[in-house]
Amino acid sequence: MSEHAVEIQHLTYRVKRVFALEDLSLKVPTGSIYGFLGPNGSGKTTTIRLILGLLRPESGTITVLGHAIPERAPAALARTGYVPEAPHLDPTLSVAEAIWFHSQFYRTWDGAWAARLLADFELDPKRPFGKLSKGQKGKLMMLLALAQRPELLVLDEPTDGLDPVVRRDMLSALLDYVSQHSATVFISSHLIHELERICDWVGVMDNGRLVADVGMERFKTGMKRLKVCHGPANTDTLPFRVLTRTTVNGNGTEMWLVRDWAPEMAPAVAAAGGELQQVIDLDLEEGFVELLRSFRVPRSEASRV
Amino acid sequence: MFRAILFQQWRWTRLIVALSTVAAFAIPLFSVRGSAANLEHKEAASFLGDVQSWGVLYPTLAGALGVLLAITLWTPDHRGRHVYALALPIPRWRLVTYRYLAGLTLLAAPVIGLTLGTLLASGTASLPTGLHAYPLGLSVRFALAAVVAFTLFFSVSSGTARTAGTILGAVAALVVFQVLLSAAGSEANILMPIVNVLLTAPGPFAIFTGRWMLVDV
Repeated sequence: MSEHAVEIQHLTYRVKRVFALEDLSLKVPTGSIYGFLGPNGSGKTTTIRLILGLLRPESGTITVLGHAIPERAPAALARTGYVPEAPHLDPTLSVAEAIWFHSQFYRTWDGAWAARLLADFELDPKRPFGKLSKGQKGKLMMLLALAQRPELLVLDEPTDGLDPVVRRDMLSALLDYVSQHSATVFISSHLIHELERICDWVGVMDNGRLVADVGMERFKTGMKRLKVCHGPANTDTLPFRVLTRTTVNGNGTEMWLVRDWAPEMAPAVAAAGGELQQVIDLDLEEGFVELLRSFRVPRSEASRV
Repeated sequence: MFRAILFQQWRWTRLIVALSTVAAFAIPLFSVRGSAANLEHKEAASFLGDVQSWGVLYPTLAGALGVLLAITLWTPDHRGRHVYALALPIPRWRLVTYRYLAGLTLLAAPVIGLTLGTLLASGTASLPTGLHAYPLGLSVRFALAAVVAFTLFFSVSSGTARTAGTILGAVAALVVFQVLLSAAGSEANILMPIVNVLLTAPGPFAIFTGRWMLVDV
């Protein structure tokens, strides 16, 4: 088994002059739950569609479960469950018909488990897809993705706009499956706290660029706000990355936003001539927002990004 | 897979298929309604004229059936931006081939309806001496015409909306250009040569032209 379920290298994709993914490289470790974060229009859905071979890149390589994409997309898709951002199933088919239709394309389809999920999700098999509520559509899409017994699940904002009960049901089914089959999950979402609970790896997109790609724990513990007095002008020698630095008052106190922080690095600030006054924790959402802010701040305002 | 695709396409097109099957069955029966036996020569000629006027409906039905079926088969995909179909684990060429074959299978129902209608009409009508019925010939021609229309519009519809728009835009531009030429007093006709190529044998639409007669000399 490959070390990475998804591997993207130097990917470039443009939509006219409106949007572009530029030199995107990303690796999703096999067996991980990879949270793919980013604001609207940052390129998450485009990246997912490129991973699945629905779009063709201008340059770069994509490998999914060892298969080159888009050339070998059908082989990869046979082992991949996909929940799209908007459910695109035929609205005239009933739930049972949609399940039957979908099952015909997957050799690994588990009919018994599909039936169990149908009961668990309390879906009416006779109801047409077009007449299902948003939550029911989301559940059906999750059922279709899980019942094919995939090695990789690609979920594009699967719980967006759903109520907490439906979200819990869907994530519970997802985690149940992952724990039993050691599948890899690539999930994009706006719901940062939801990802914080389930993901062990996180990637952050902004304006077509991947601005972070780290383990969840490292992301959470490594993103800090430091209150520093008389900080050095040059922070290049420090063992962590200073993303932004802002002056707090006129007596030389600054607030630094840093990445890759560890408590044992505190003496390095003093060694560089500064005085570390306070280390402020950030939760994932704060870290996410600050990270994006740091990448959007004009370079003249940031000492180093 | 083919069974699933055929089932899905049947769900999308069943109204078109059912109505066209009924129409294809009924047109031949109406075209020779009443006995044509013992007609005088002049009346037999009038009878043939009637049959010929009904004959316009065969290519019209074949063309409309092919076009509607082809467009309907791809409409749900255009609405969903092809995401669901493309995310299925099947090569695109195979998916398109299955869809095309499923479309042809659905076309079989109206063709069978027409064949039964022509056989019944020609079997029950008493034709004047010298006139003959051509039920199978007419049915085969109807089938080929429907397949031509279906194939052409299936090809256009299977692409993106932009592709279809480009093709239709090019046709519209030609027509507008011709109208402008005529308005400017020019005798140049750029459309006629194109129309001739398409409608004259071996042009692809030649099958739609000429006489469509269930009963002829």
